[in-house]
Amino acid sequence: MKVYVCLKQVPDTESKIKVAADGKSIDSTGIKWILCPYDEFAVEESIRFKEKNPGATICAVSAGPDRVVDALRTALAMGCDEAIHIALPENADSYLTAKSLARAITKSGTPHLIFTGKQAIDDDAAQVHQAMAEFLSLPAVTVVLKAEYSATSVKLDREIEGGAIEKYEVATPCVIAAQKGMNEPRYASLPNIMKAKKKEIKKVTLAELDLTDTDTKVSYSAMQLPAERGACKMISGDVAAQAKELVRLLHEEAKVI
Amino acid sequence: MYWAIKPFFVFAAIAGSFSYFIFRSKILLNTLTSLPTKADRSDHIPSRIKSVFVDVLGQRRVLKKKAPGIAHTMIFWGFIIITIGTVEMMVDGIFRGVNLSLLGEAIYGRYLLVADIMTLAVLSGVCFGFFRRLVLKPAYLKTGVDALTVLAFTAGLMLALFGMNSFRVAADPGSTLNQYFFVSGFLGNIIHQSGLSPDLAFVGSEVFYWLHLLLVLGFLMYIPRSKHLHILAAGPNIFFRQLGTSKAMIKTDLEDENATSFGLGKISDLSWKGALDLYACTECGRCQEACPASLTGKPLSPSNLVHDFRTELFAHQAAILAKKTEELPNVVRADSGVTEDVIWACTSCRACEEVCPVHIEQTTLIFESRKNLVLMQSSFPAEMQTVFRNLENNFTPWAFGSDTRADWCRDLEVKQMADHPTAEVLYYVGCAGSFDDRAKKVATAIVKLLKKANVDFAILGKEEKCNGDPARRAGNEYLAQMLIKENVETLNKYKPRKILTGCPHCFNTLKNEYTAFGAQYDVVHHTTFLSELIEQGKLKPAVGADKEVTFHDSCYLGRWNDVYQSPRDILKAIPELNVTEMPRNKNKGLCCGAGGARMFMEEKIGTRININRTEEALATGAKTIAAACPFCSTMLTDGVKAKEQQANVQVKDVAEILAESIT
Repeated sequence: MKVYVCLKQVPDTESKIKVAADGKSIDSTGIKWILCPYDEFAVEESIRFKEKNPGATICAVSAGPDRVVDALRTALAMGCDEAIHIALPENADSYLTAKSLARAITKSGTPHLIFTGKQAIDDDAAQVHQAMAEFLSLPAVTVVLKAEYSATSVKLDREIEGGAIEKYEVATPCVIAAQKGMNEPRYASLPNIMKAKKKEIKKVTLAELDLTDTDTKVSYSAMQLPAERGACKMISGDVAAQAKELVRLLHEEAKVI
Repeated sequence: MYWAIKPFFVFAAIAGSFSYFIFRSKILLNTLTSLPTKADRSDHIPSRIKSVFVDVLGQRRVLKKKAPGIAHTMIFWGFIIITIGTVEMMVDGIFRGVNLSLLGEAIYGRYLLVADIMTLAVLSGVCFGFFRRLVLKPAYLKTGVDALTVLAFTAGLMLALFGMNSFRVAADPGSTLNQYFFVSGFLGNIIHQSGLSPDLAFVGSEVFYWLHLLLVLGFLMYIPRSKHLHILAAGPNIFFRQLGTSKAMIKTDLEDENATSFGLGKISDLSWKGALDLYACTECGRCQEACPASLTGKPLSPSNLVHDFRTELFAHQAAILAKKTEELPNVVRADSGVTEDVIWACTSCRACEEVCPVHIEQTTLIFESRKNLVLMQSSFPAEMQTVFRNLENNFTPWAFGSDTRADWCRDLEVKQMADHPTAEVLYYVGCAGSFDDRAKKVATAIVKLLKKANVDFAILGKEEKCNGDPARRAGNEYLAQMLIKENVETLNKYKPRKILTGCPHCFNTLKNEYTAFGAQYDVVHHTTFLSELIEQGKLKPAVGADKEVTFHDSCYLGRWNDVYQSPRDILKAIPELNVTEMPRNKNKGLCCGAGGARMFMEEKIGTRININRTEEALATGAKTIAAACPFCSTMLTDGVKAKEQQANVQVKDVAEILAESIT
């Protein structure tokens, strides 16, 4: 029984993002790359699944430049059994990413489950898991908080607006995209970190998947940083004057009312 | 008839009990030598011998606690002197007439006088011991059967000795030796005057001879399995002790391909020195009395910790001797005395090690156990996962981007080593000084003072990383070594002549622990450096805002590195500033509660350590609580707020107080 967990390497949340000289990508110097936190929930969930289903093999898959190998090592250290690195250029779009993941998974063996995070914290697109499910003709449930597994189906709790829960039962194989709160990811033990360093990471090229790096639907035309947040403005005077001034500022300066 | 058979019986008793004693001691020794973990303590032999003189014969640390210390010293010295006589009576029992009287009356008589007085001294010491355990009952002292048995044996021995000597005096009232018996002579005269015949008195003396002999031999057999084992192990333990005040945590070889486990998991992971520590403890409770965790209702008592480790060691002695240790359980587990809560409660303040009369290294047990929990079992307080992640990704325990590390001094015109690699002093700011809003002000004050004194300094800026202390003390040796190695590489690139740190934790790690990783530099804490600048006349303090000040000692400055005077010298150099010491100061100072990575963990059990310390500081009436560590400052500031005294009392770093006194 093969279980996949798809993951993305993203800049650390504390990294200062700078736009590169070309104006349409980010300057990666000085960026600390981490395993996307949502994907970490997915990795943890896949390992917990394996703990209850010892016959399962967990395969971590990531598409991206060579640096993503580090994210795959993190997943291996947490407890994944094998890993596939699909060589993809920086800035590949969600379409190509999803398609390459789908083809690599098909090539590697029929999935029983595919886990991934509900979105990547860098571009926040939240597209890849759904597109990938589409390419694989599998059902996909996203923003999942809880899963109960049986032999042929999974019962899922999905978080929707206002904290309400939708309940699903989905036939396997299926794609499950994890939301924060699904579990508490473990911290890898030293022996597992050491073992992960020695595990082979299988590299797959786009050509092997009958794809090229021009098989994209989206390209970036420009990137810009948000305007720097101004200093906090204190309004003084009596309550009536304060309210009046606040309304004036919201209307004239912030232009929100 | 009696004289014909006595030697056989004496010999048989001695041979039997000594065989048992040697058999037992051999097991203890073999257990030590069967432990695979290495510990090298063969250096500085003269210092070690000196320590034995001071700490064993001189009873230096024992005497730091007045009454029990004097009682112990009387018993200790009494026993040594009396043992000469005990050996004499054993030899005399086998070879009649072979005794110290052969040395002549002048020498023998003097010995008898001293021994007789010492018997009284030991008895008095033991009486005090009973009184303390049965009447005074201090909270830190556990009184079990073992403790009372040891006291009873000792008392019995002394009483038997008096009995034997008194009846000897009564049996031979004319002997010239009688004049040397100070106590026994007095008692002997009473017996003699009561009209007891010399023959019967002789029988009495032989009865007491046997009583004394059997008690000695019984005690001998009892010792190896009791806490009184310390009379054998304390001396060696002091000889093999951690020399000096400063110490480094054990560097675990994480690249060892053959290692199946790291840190202290099973009891068999102890080093021989760790086991000797356990043998040497006699559960005097001094450590528990000083321990901030014990004082605030945490499950950790250093004394219990050692006791529980020893129980575990004795329980698995056979497996260790047979070298079949694969199946042994971990020491830290829910049903042993050593639970995870015990291990995580320690602030690593070393108050226990400071007071231990036999130099037991309790923090080694804690640190090594934490390593095993983290590295092998990924088991640690949940809060630490975020800290580890921050350290991994941004090289600081707090969630700040590593490239913002130098932002605190953007407007201060501080040079960076990359631009000024020849700077005389490398100011290693530390994570608190770089990222924590309160500590940034301290860093700013230090910069102001350095500039005022025209010190040629530079910081590492983005190249600086956490020194490794929080990860290391929290058991994450892997992460700590990663940080240390990266910092060592940076330091060795610049080879600074002097490293100035703004935090005692950076100071301690850089000074004492980086050597093992290939970086040996002259490291100085800011209080020492600033006090030198004052001494050299480069800084001239004037009257400042703070008048009534109390100083809180940082553990990593004081007990870890013996820096007590520098911060006080700075405060004394400021005119009109008056320092009131807290009752617990210098090496007796109470920890703020933040050491040993406790800074980053919740304090869920018992009362809060920082409140305990803050109350003591507030009681001095000082309006300013001075500290020399960003963690202490945070803990004490929280304490002052909790006591709702923030309007009256301020917590400041010594550097800030000094900076405000210089215009």
